[in-house]
Amino acid sequence: MNIKRAEKPSVENIVQKHTMKFSKIIADPAIRERWEKVRRYFFLRESTYDMTNRCNIRCDGCYYYEGEKQFTGDNSDPVDWRALMKAEKERGITYVVLAGAEPSLVPELCRVCYDVIPLGSIATNGFKMIPESVGYKIHISVWGNDDTSRRVRNAKHLLERQIENYEGDSRAVFVYTFTRDNIGEIYDVMETLSRHECRVTFNIFSAPVGYAGTLRHDNASLSFARKAMMDVLAAYPDHVLFSPYNVVAHTHRLGLHDLFGCSYPRMNPSTDIGLGRSFRQYRTDLSWDRSASCCVPDTDCADCRHYASGSAVVTARLYRHASDPETFKAWLDYVDTYLAVWVVGYDKGKNLLERMTPPPGFEL
Amino acid sequence: MAEKKLILRVAEILIDELKLEDVTPETFDPEVDLIDELGIDSMDLTTVVLVLQDEYGVTIDEDDYPKLKTVRLIAEYIDEKLKEL
Repeated sequence: MNIKRAEKPSVENIVQKHTMKFSKIIADPAIRERWEKVRRYFFLRESTYDMTNRCNIRCDGCYYYEGEKQFTGDNSDPVDWRALMKAEKERGITYVVLAGAEPSLVPELCRVCYDVIPLGSIATNGFKMIPESVGYKIHISVWGNDDTSRRVRNAKHLLERQIENYEGDSRAVFVYTFTRDNIGEIYDVMETLSRHECRVTFNIFSAPVGYAGTLRHDNASLSFARKAMMDVLAAYPDHVLFSPYNVVAHTHRLGLHDLFGCSYPRMNPSTDIGLGRSFRQYRTDLSWDRSASCCVPDTDCADCRHYASGSAVVTARLYRHASDPETFKAWLDYVDTYLAVWVVGYDKGKNLLERMTPPPGFEL
Repeated sequence: MAEKKLILRVAEILIDELKLEDVTPETFDPEVDLIDELGIDSMDLTTVVLVLQDEYGVTIDEDDYPKLKTVRLIAEYIDEKLKEL
Protein backbone atom coordinates (compact mmCIF):
# COMPACT_ATOMS: atom_id res chain seq x y z
CA MET A 1 0.00 0.00 0.00
CA ASN A 2 1.30 3.40 -0.92
CA ILE A 3 -1.56 5.64 0.08
CA LYS A 4 -0.78 8.58 2.35
CA ARG A 5 -3.26 10.02 4.79
CA ALA A 6 -4.02 13.68 4.26
CA GLU A 7 -4.60 16.46 6.69
CA LYS A 8 -8.26 17.28 6.90
CA PRO A 9 -8.71 20.53 4.95
CA SER A 10 -9.22 23.35 7.39
CA VAL A 11 -12.56 25.08 7.49
CA GLU A 12 -10.73 28.28 6.56
CA ASN A 13 -9.42 26.76 3.34
CA ILE A 14 -12.84 25.61 2.31
CA VAL A 15 -14.61 28.78 3.34
CA GLN A 16 -12.12 30.95 1.49
CA LYS A 17 -13.19 29.22 -1.68
CA HIS A 18 -16.79 30.36 -1.24
CA THR A 19 -16.08 33.12 -3.71
CA MET A 20 -19.57 33.44 -5.06
CA LYS A 21 -22.93 33.85 -3.38
CA PHE A 22 -25.07 30.72 -3.42
CA SER A 23 -27.97 32.66 -4.91
CA LYS A 24 -25.72 33.62 -7.81
CA ILE A 25 -24.56 30.03 -8.34
CA ILE A 26 -28.12 28.76 -8.58
CA ALA A 27 -29.16 31.63 -10.84
CA ASP A 28 -27.80 29.55 -13.73
CA PRO A 29 -30.95 27.86 -15.13
CA ALA A 30 -29.30 24.45 -15.60
CA ILE A 31 -27.93 24.48 -12.06
CA ARG A 32 -31.20 25.69 -10.58
CA GLU A 33 -33.22 23.04 -12.38
CA ARG A 34 -30.93 20.26 -11.11
CA TRP A 35 -30.79 21.75 -7.59
CA GLU A 36 -34.58 21.83 -7.38
CA LYS A 37 -34.71 18.28 -8.70
CA VAL A 38 -32.34 16.77 -6.14
CA ARG A 39 -33.36 18.79 -3.08
CA ARG A 40 -36.80 17.18 -3.14
CA TYR A 41 -35.08 14.05 -1.82
CA PHE A 42 -33.40 15.62 1.18
CA PHE A 43 -36.02 13.87 3.31
CA LEU A 44 -34.25 10.52 2.87
CA ARG A 45 -32.90 9.12 6.18
CA GLU A 46 -31.23 5.75 5.83
CA SER A 47 -30.32 2.82 7.97
CA THR A 48 -29.02 -0.61 6.91
CA TYR A 49 -29.97 -4.13 7.87
CA ASP A 50 -28.21 -7.46 7.60
CA MET A 51 -31.00 -9.87 6.70
CA THR A 52 -29.51 -13.34 7.25
CA ASN A 53 -26.15 -14.86 8.01
CA ARG A 54 -26.54 -17.22 5.06
CA CYS A 55 -25.21 -16.80 1.54
CA ASN A 56 -25.21 -19.04 -1.50
CA ILE A 57 -21.67 -18.12 -2.61
CA ARG A 58 -18.40 -17.22 -0.88
CA CYS A 59 -16.42 -14.30 -2.30
CA ASP A 60 -12.84 -13.33 -1.57
CA GLY A 61 -12.91 -10.03 0.35
CA CYS A 62 -16.61 -10.20 1.28
CA TYR A 63 -17.32 -7.64 3.99
CA TYR A 64 -19.99 -9.78 5.65
CA TYR A 65 -17.71 -12.64 6.59
CA GLU A 66 -15.24 -10.38 8.35
CA GLY A 67 -15.48 -9.37 12.00
CA GLU A 68 -18.03 -10.44 14.59
CA LYS A 69 -21.29 -9.96 12.76
CA GLN A 70 -21.04 -13.22 10.79
CA PHE A 71 -21.46 -15.10 14.10
CA THR A 72 -24.71 -13.34 14.96
CA GLY A 73 -27.76 -15.58 15.04
CA ASP A 74 -30.61 -15.04 12.59
CA ASN A 75 -33.93 -13.65 13.68
CA SER A 76 -36.17 -14.71 10.83
CA ASP A 77 -39.49 -13.97 12.52
CA PRO A 78 -41.54 -11.66 10.24
CA VAL A 79 -43.42 -10.33 13.26
CA ASP A 80 -40.18 -9.10 14.83
CA TRP A 81 -39.04 -7.59 11.54
CA ARG A 82 -42.33 -5.77 11.09
CA ALA A 83 -42.06 -4.40 14.62
CA LEU A 84 -38.50 -3.25 13.92
CA MET A 85 -39.53 -1.51 10.70
CA LYS A 86 -42.39 0.26 12.44
CA ALA A 87 -40.04 1.43 15.17
CA GLU A 88 -37.56 2.61 12.54
CA LYS A 89 -40.26 4.55 10.74
CA GLU A 90 -41.30 6.05 14.05
CA ARG A 91 -37.81 7.41 14.69
CA GLY A 92 -37.70 8.99 11.24
CA ILE A 93 -36.05 6.41 8.98
CA THR A 94 -37.43 6.81 5.44
CA TYR A 95 -35.01 4.61 3.49
CA VAL A 96 -33.71 1.09 4.16
CA VAL A 97 -30.72 -0.74 2.72
CA LEU A 98 -31.07 -4.51 3.02
CA ALA A 99 -27.70 -6.19 2.69
CA GLY A 100 -25.68 -9.09 4.14
CA ALA A 101 -25.23 -11.80 3.77
CA GLU A 102 -27.69 -12.55 0.92
CA PRO A 103 -31.16 -10.98 1.20
CA SER A 104 -32.60 -12.97 -1.71
CA LEU A 105 -32.57 -16.01 0.59
CA VAL A 106 -35.17 -14.35 2.84
CA PRO A 107 -37.63 -12.73 0.40
CA GLU A 108 -40.46 -12.81 2.93
CA LEU A 109 -38.47 -10.54 5.25
CA CYS A 110 -37.66 -8.18 2.38
CA ARG A 111 -41.37 -7.97 1.68
CA VAL A 112 -42.14 -7.12 5.31
CA CYS A 113 -39.63 -4.26 5.17
CA TYR A 114 -41.11 -3.00 1.90
CA ASP A 115 -44.63 -3.08 3.33
CA VAL A 116 -43.65 -0.72 6.14
CA ILE A 117 -40.94 1.48 4.55
CA PRO A 118 -41.46 1.59 0.78
CA LEU A 119 -38.21 3.29 -0.18
CA GLY A 120 -35.04 1.26 -0.16
CA SER A 121 -32.61 -1.00 -1.91
CA ILE A 122 -31.28 -4.53 -1.68
CA ALA A 123 -27.69 -5.61 -2.24
CA THR A 124 -27.67 -9.06 -3.83
CA ASN A 125 -25.38 -11.35 -5.79
CA GLY A 126 -28.23 -11.82 -8.28
CA PHE A 127 -28.17 -15.63 -8.31
CA LYS A 128 -31.75 -15.83 -7.08
CA MET A 129 -34.34 -13.35 -8.25
CA ILE A 130 -36.04 -11.21 -5.65
CA PRO A 131 -39.82 -11.19 -6.27
CA GLU A 132 -41.22 -8.21 -8.13
CA SER A 133 -43.57 -7.57 -5.22
CA VAL A 134 -40.56 -6.12 -3.38
CA GLY A 135 -40.38 -2.73 -5.09
CA TYR A 136 -36.95 -1.69 -3.90
CA LYS A 137 -33.95 -0.92 -6.07
CA ILE A 138 -31.96 -4.12 -6.59
CA HIS A 139 -28.18 -3.75 -6.64
CA ILE A 140 -26.60 -6.75 -8.33
CA SER A 141 -22.92 -7.15 -7.59
CA VAL A 142 -20.64 -7.84 -10.56
CA TRP A 143 -16.98 -8.56 -9.90
CA GLY A 144 -15.65 -9.08 -13.41
CA ASN A 145 -16.33 -11.54 -16.19
CA ASP A 146 -17.47 -15.11 -15.66
CA ASP A 147 -13.91 -16.47 -15.48
CA THR A 148 -13.10 -14.04 -12.69
CA SER A 149 -16.37 -14.75 -10.87
CA ARG A 150 -15.58 -18.45 -10.94
CA ARG A 151 -12.15 -17.78 -9.48
CA VAL A 152 -12.96 -15.08 -6.90
CA ARG A 153 -16.55 -15.94 -6.02
CA ASN A 154 -16.65 -19.69 -6.76
CA ALA A 155 -19.70 -19.01 -8.89
CA LYS A 156 -20.23 -20.45 -12.38
CA HIS A 157 -21.92 -18.43 -15.14
CA LEU A 158 -22.78 -15.71 -12.64
CA LEU A 159 -23.15 -12.81 -15.07
CA GLU A 160 -25.35 -14.94 -17.32
CA ARG A 161 -27.59 -15.82 -14.36
CA GLN A 162 -27.73 -12.21 -13.19
CA ILE A 163 -28.82 -11.01 -16.62
CA GLU A 164 -31.38 -13.79 -16.93
CA ASN A 165 -32.90 -12.79 -13.60
CA TYR A 166 -32.88 -9.02 -14.03
CA GLU A 167 -32.89 -8.11 -17.71
CA GLY A 168 -35.65 -5.55 -18.32
CA ASP A 169 -36.30 -5.12 -14.60
CA SER A 170 -36.55 -1.40 -13.84
CA ARG A 171 -35.49 -2.06 -10.24
CA ALA A 172 -32.11 -3.42 -11.27
CA VAL A 173 -28.76 -1.66 -11.18
CA PHE A 174 -25.67 -3.76 -11.87
CA VAL A 175 -22.85 -2.66 -9.58
CA TYR A 176 -19.45 -3.37 -11.11
CA THR A 177 -16.83 -3.54 -8.36
CA PHE A 178 -13.37 -2.65 -9.58
CA THR A 179 -10.79 -4.75 -7.78
CA ARG A 180 -7.08 -4.47 -8.46
CA ASP A 181 -7.16 -7.32 -10.96
CA ASN A 182 -10.45 -7.00 -12.90
CA ILE A 183 -10.20 -3.44 -14.22
CA GLY A 184 -9.69 -4.25 -17.90
CA GLU A 185 -12.62 -6.66 -17.86
CA ILE A 186 -15.10 -3.78 -17.58
CA TYR A 187 -14.90 -3.15 -21.33
CA ASP A 188 -16.27 -6.60 -22.24
CA VAL A 189 -18.65 -6.83 -19.32
CA MET A 190 -20.08 -3.41 -20.14
CA GLU A 191 -20.59 -4.39 -23.76
CA THR A 192 -22.54 -7.44 -22.61
CA LEU A 193 -24.64 -5.55 -20.07
CA SER A 194 -25.46 -2.73 -22.48
CA ARG A 195 -26.53 -5.27 -25.11
CA HIS A 196 -29.12 -6.47 -22.61
CA GLU A 197 -30.11 -2.85 -21.78
CA CYS A 198 -28.90 -3.20 -18.19
CA ARG A 199 -28.05 -0.11 -16.12
CA VAL A 200 -24.63 -0.12 -14.48
CA THR A 201 -22.90 1.83 -11.75
CA PHE A 202 -19.40 1.47 -10.32
CA ASN A 203 -17.93 0.50 -7.00
CA ILE A 204 -14.33 0.37 -5.88
CA PHE A 205 -13.21 -2.62 -3.82
CA SER A 206 -12.56 -1.33 -0.32
CA ALA A 207 -10.59 -3.74 1.81
CA PRO A 208 -12.07 -5.14 5.00
CA VAL A 209 -10.00 -4.60 8.15
CA GLY A 210 -7.03 -6.95 8.09
CA TYR A 211 -7.57 -8.01 4.48
CA ALA A 212 -4.27 -9.10 2.91
CA GLY A 213 -5.51 -10.50 -0.39
CA THR A 214 -4.75 -9.43 -3.93
CA LEU A 215 -7.89 -7.35 -4.58
CA ARG A 216 -6.80 -4.32 -2.57
CA HIS A 217 -6.03 -1.26 -4.68
CA ASP A 218 -2.79 0.65 -4.96
CA ASN A 219 -2.16 4.00 -6.64
CA ALA A 220 -1.52 2.40 -10.03
CA SER A 221 -4.73 0.39 -10.01
CA LEU A 222 -6.74 3.42 -8.89
CA SER A 223 -5.37 5.39 -11.85
CA PHE A 224 -6.20 2.53 -14.20
CA ALA A 225 -9.71 2.27 -12.76
CA ARG A 226 -10.15 6.03 -13.22
CA LYS A 227 -9.27 5.78 -16.88
CA ALA A 228 -11.49 2.75 -17.45
CA MET A 229 -14.45 4.42 -15.75
CA MET A 230 -14.09 7.56 -17.87
CA ASP A 231 -13.77 5.46 -21.04
CA VAL A 232 -16.89 3.46 -20.29
CA LEU A 233 -18.86 6.49 -19.13
CA ALA A 234 -18.12 8.17 -22.47
CA ALA A 235 -18.90 5.07 -24.50
CA TYR A 236 -22.17 4.10 -22.77
CA PRO A 237 -23.79 7.31 -21.48
CA ASP A 238 -27.28 5.78 -21.58
CA HIS A 239 -26.34 2.70 -19.60
CA VAL A 240 -23.81 3.96 -17.06
CA LEU A 241 -25.13 5.72 -13.96
CA PHE A 242 -22.03 7.68 -12.98
CA SER A 243 -20.43 11.08 -13.46
CA PRO A 244 -16.88 12.40 -13.79
CA TYR A 245 -17.07 13.62 -10.20
CA ASN A 246 -18.06 10.16 -9.03
CA VAL A 247 -14.94 8.93 -10.81
CA VAL A 248 -12.79 11.47 -8.98
CA ALA A 249 -14.31 10.83 -5.56
CA HIS A 250 -13.94 7.06 -5.78
CA THR A 251 -10.56 6.70 -7.49
CA HIS A 252 -8.66 9.43 -5.66
CA ARG A 253 -5.44 8.29 -4.01
CA LEU A 254 -7.08 9.41 -0.75
CA GLY A 255 -10.11 7.56 0.51
CA LEU A 256 -13.54 9.04 1.15
CA HIS A 257 -12.89 9.73 4.81
CA ASP A 258 -9.74 11.71 4.11
CA LEU A 259 -11.38 13.64 1.31
CA PHE A 260 -14.74 14.42 2.83
CA GLY A 261 -14.80 13.32 6.46
CA CYS A 262 -17.01 10.28 6.97
CA SER A 263 -20.30 11.13 8.63
CA TYR A 264 -21.29 7.58 9.64
CA PRO A 265 -21.36 6.90 13.40
CA ARG A 266 -18.33 4.61 13.29
CA MET A 267 -16.10 7.56 12.36
CA ASN A 268 -18.26 10.41 13.60
CA PRO A 269 -18.78 10.81 17.36
CA SER A 270 -21.36 13.59 16.98
CA THR A 271 -24.99 12.73 17.63
CA ASP A 272 -26.22 16.27 17.06
CA ILE A 273 -27.53 16.07 13.51
CA GLY A 274 -27.25 14.03 10.31
CA LEU A 275 -26.07 10.43 9.96
CA GLY A 276 -24.24 10.51 13.29
CA ARG A 277 -27.61 10.99 14.91
CA SER A 278 -29.96 8.80 12.90
CA PHE A 279 -28.00 6.02 11.19
CA ARG A 280 -27.97 2.48 12.54
CA GLN A 281 -26.62 -0.75 11.12
CA TYR A 282 -28.62 -3.73 12.33
CA ARG A 283 -27.29 -7.24 12.53
CA THR A 284 -29.28 -10.35 11.73
CA ASP A 285 -30.49 -10.69 15.33
CA LEU A 286 -31.87 -7.11 15.08
CA SER A 287 -29.27 -5.70 17.46
CA TRP A 288 -27.08 -2.71 16.58
CA ASP A 289 -23.88 -1.20 17.89
CA ARG A 290 -23.14 2.47 17.36
CA SER A 291 -19.38 1.97 17.43
CA ALA A 292 -19.61 -0.43 14.48
CA SER A 293 -22.26 1.42 12.49
CA CYS A 294 -21.51 2.38 8.93
CA CYS A 295 -22.83 1.31 5.54
CA VAL A 296 -20.25 -1.45 5.05
CA PRO A 297 -19.07 -2.51 8.51
CA ASP A 298 -15.57 -3.95 8.92
CA THR A 299 -14.26 -1.97 5.98
CA ASP A 300 -10.82 -0.50 6.63
CA CYS A 301 -11.87 3.16 6.90
CA ALA A 302 -8.61 4.44 5.40
CA ASP A 303 -9.25 2.35 2.28
CA CYS A 304 -12.99 3.08 1.99
CA ARG A 305 -14.08 4.13 -1.48
CA HIS A 306 -17.31 2.19 -1.36
CA TYR A 307 -20.15 3.42 -3.55
CA ALA A 308 -22.66 3.15 -0.72
CA SER A 309 -20.47 5.19 1.58
CA GLY A 310 -19.86 7.90 -0.99
CA SER A 311 -23.57 8.26 -1.62
CA ALA A 312 -23.96 9.57 1.90
CA VAL A 313 -20.54 11.04 2.64
CA VAL A 314 -20.14 13.13 -0.54
CA THR A 315 -23.80 14.12 -0.61
CA ALA A 316 -23.67 15.36 2.99
CA ARG A 317 -20.93 17.84 2.06
CA LEU A 318 -23.24 20.25 0.27
CA TYR A 319 -21.72 23.23 2.07
CA ARG A 320 -18.19 22.55 0.88
CA HIS A 321 -19.32 22.19 -2.70
CA ALA A 322 -21.47 25.33 -2.81
CA SER A 323 -18.40 27.47 -3.44
CA ASP A 324 -18.42 28.11 -7.19
CA PRO A 325 -20.46 26.92 -10.19
CA GLU A 326 -18.08 24.18 -11.33
CA THR A 327 -17.70 22.56 -7.91
CA PHE A 328 -21.42 22.80 -7.31
CA LYS A 329 -22.20 21.24 -10.69
CA ALA A 330 -19.89 18.37 -9.79
CA TRP A 331 -21.75 17.84 -6.53
CA LEU A 332 -25.13 18.00 -8.31
CA ASP A 333 -23.97 15.34 -10.79
CA TYR A 334 -22.90 13.17 -7.87
CA VAL A 335 -26.23 13.55 -6.05
CA ASP A 336 -28.21 13.05 -9.27
CA THR A 337 -26.27 9.82 -9.80
CA TYR A 338 -26.77 8.66 -6.24
CA LEU A 339 -30.53 9.19 -6.45
CA ALA A 340 -30.79 7.36 -9.79
CA VAL A 341 -28.91 4.41 -8.34
CA TRP A 342 -30.78 4.24 -5.05
CA VAL A 343 -34.33 5.54 -5.58
CA VAL A 344 -36.96 3.74 -7.65
CA GLY A 345 -38.50 6.04 -10.25
CA TYR A 346 -35.74 8.67 -10.16
CA ASP A 347 -34.30 9.28 -13.62
CA LYS A 348 -30.75 10.50 -13.98
CA GLY A 349 -30.22 13.66 -15.99
CA LYS A 350 -27.35 14.38 -18.33
CA ASN A 351 -24.21 15.17 -16.38
CA LEU A 352 -23.69 18.94 -16.04
CA LEU A 353 -19.90 18.47 -16.17
CA GLU A 354 -18.14 16.26 -18.67
CA ARG A 355 -14.68 16.76 -17.19
CA MET A 356 -13.23 15.81 -13.83
CA THR A 357 -13.01 18.47 -11.15
CA PRO A 358 -11.10 18.19 -7.85
CA PRO A 359 -12.76 17.75 -4.46
CA PRO A 360 -12.81 20.94 -2.33
CA GLY A 361 -9.40 21.51 -0.78
CA PHE A 362 -7.59 18.81 -2.84
CA GLU A 363 -5.98 18.23 -6.18
CA LEU A 364 -7.35 15.82 -8.77
CA MET B 1 -30.30 38.99 22.40
CA ALA B 2 -31.27 39.07 18.72
CA GLU B 3 -33.78 41.63 17.54
CA LYS B 4 -37.30 40.54 16.72
CA LYS B 5 -36.81 41.64 13.12
CA LEU B 6 -33.88 39.25 12.71
CA ILE B 7 -35.78 36.39 14.33
CA LEU B 8 -38.72 36.96 11.98
CA ARG B 9 -36.44 37.01 8.95
CA VAL B 10 -34.72 33.76 9.98
CA ALA B 11 -38.13 32.16 10.44
CA GLU B 12 -39.21 33.42 7.03
CA ILE B 13 -36.14 31.91 5.36
CA LEU B 14 -36.75 28.58 7.10
CA ILE B 15 -40.38 28.56 6.00
CA ASP B 16 -39.49 29.43 2.40
CA GLU B 17 -36.53 27.10 1.98
CA LEU B 18 -38.07 24.09 3.73
CA LYS B 19 -41.50 24.76 2.26
CA LEU B 20 -43.16 24.61 5.67
CA GLU B 21 -46.93 24.88 5.65
CA ASP B 22 -49.48 26.29 8.09
CA VAL B 23 -46.97 28.60 9.73
CA THR B 24 -45.92 32.22 9.26
CA PRO B 25 -42.85 34.05 10.57
CA GLU B 26 -45.08 35.60 13.21
CA THR B 27 -46.52 32.27 14.38
CA PHE B 28 -43.24 30.33 14.18
CA ASP B 29 -42.18 29.57 17.76
CA PRO B 30 -38.53 30.70 17.90
CA GLU B 31 -37.86 28.21 20.70
CA VAL B 32 -38.93 25.10 18.75
CA ASP B 33 -36.09 22.58 18.48
CA LEU B 34 -35.59 22.37 14.73
CA ILE B 35 -33.99 18.94 14.85
CA ASP B 36 -35.96 17.16 17.57
CA GLU B 37 -39.34 18.74 17.04
CA LEU B 38 -39.35 19.78 13.38
CA GLY B 39 -37.27 16.88 12.04
CA ILE B 40 -34.80 19.06 10.15
CA ASP B 41 -31.69 17.22 8.99
CA SER B 42 -28.22 18.36 7.99
CA MET B 43 -29.09 18.89 4.33
CA ASP B 44 -32.05 21.12 5.20
CA LEU B 45 -29.94 23.06 7.65
CA THR B 46 -27.13 23.52 5.14
CA THR B 47 -29.61 24.90 2.61
CA VAL B 48 -30.80 27.44 5.16
CA VAL B 49 -27.22 28.28 6.13
CA LEU B 50 -26.30 29.04 2.51
CA VAL B 51 -29.21 31.46 2.18
CA LEU B 52 -28.39 33.14 5.50
CA GLN B 53 -24.76 33.56 4.47
CA ASP B 54 -25.87 35.24 1.28
CA GLU B 55 -28.25 37.57 3.00
CA TYR B 56 -26.10 38.67 5.92
CA GLY B 57 -22.62 38.33 4.45
CA VAL B 58 -21.40 36.17 7.32
CA THR B 59 -19.65 32.81 7.34
CA ILE B 60 -21.32 29.95 9.19
CA ASP B 61 -18.87 27.13 9.83
CA GLU B 62 -20.02 23.52 9.33
CA ASP B 63 -18.73 22.79 12.82
CA ASP B 64 -21.20 25.30 14.25
CA TYR B 65 -24.32 23.57 12.90
CA PRO B 66 -25.08 21.87 16.22
CA LYS B 67 -25.41 25.33 17.79
CA LEU B 68 -28.21 26.25 15.38
CA LYS B 69 -30.97 24.37 17.13
CA THR B 70 -33.73 26.99 17.19
CA VAL B 71 -34.70 30.07 15.24
CA ARG B 72 -33.69 32.20 18.22
CA LEU B 73 -30.27 30.55 18.46
CA ILE B 74 -29.70 31.02 14.72
CA ALA B 75 -30.65 34.69 15.01
CA GLU B 76 -28.33 35.15 17.99
CA TYR B 77 -25.52 33.39 16.13
CA ILE B 78 -25.94 35.72 13.15
CA ASP B 79 -26.17 38.72 15.45
CA GLU B 80 -22.83 37.80 17.01
CA LYS B 81 -21.26 37.27 13.59
CA LEU B 82 -22.51 40.64 12.41
CA LYS B 83 -20.89 42.32 15.40
CA GLU B 84 -17.57 40.72 14.42
CA LEU B 85 -17.67 42.27 10.94
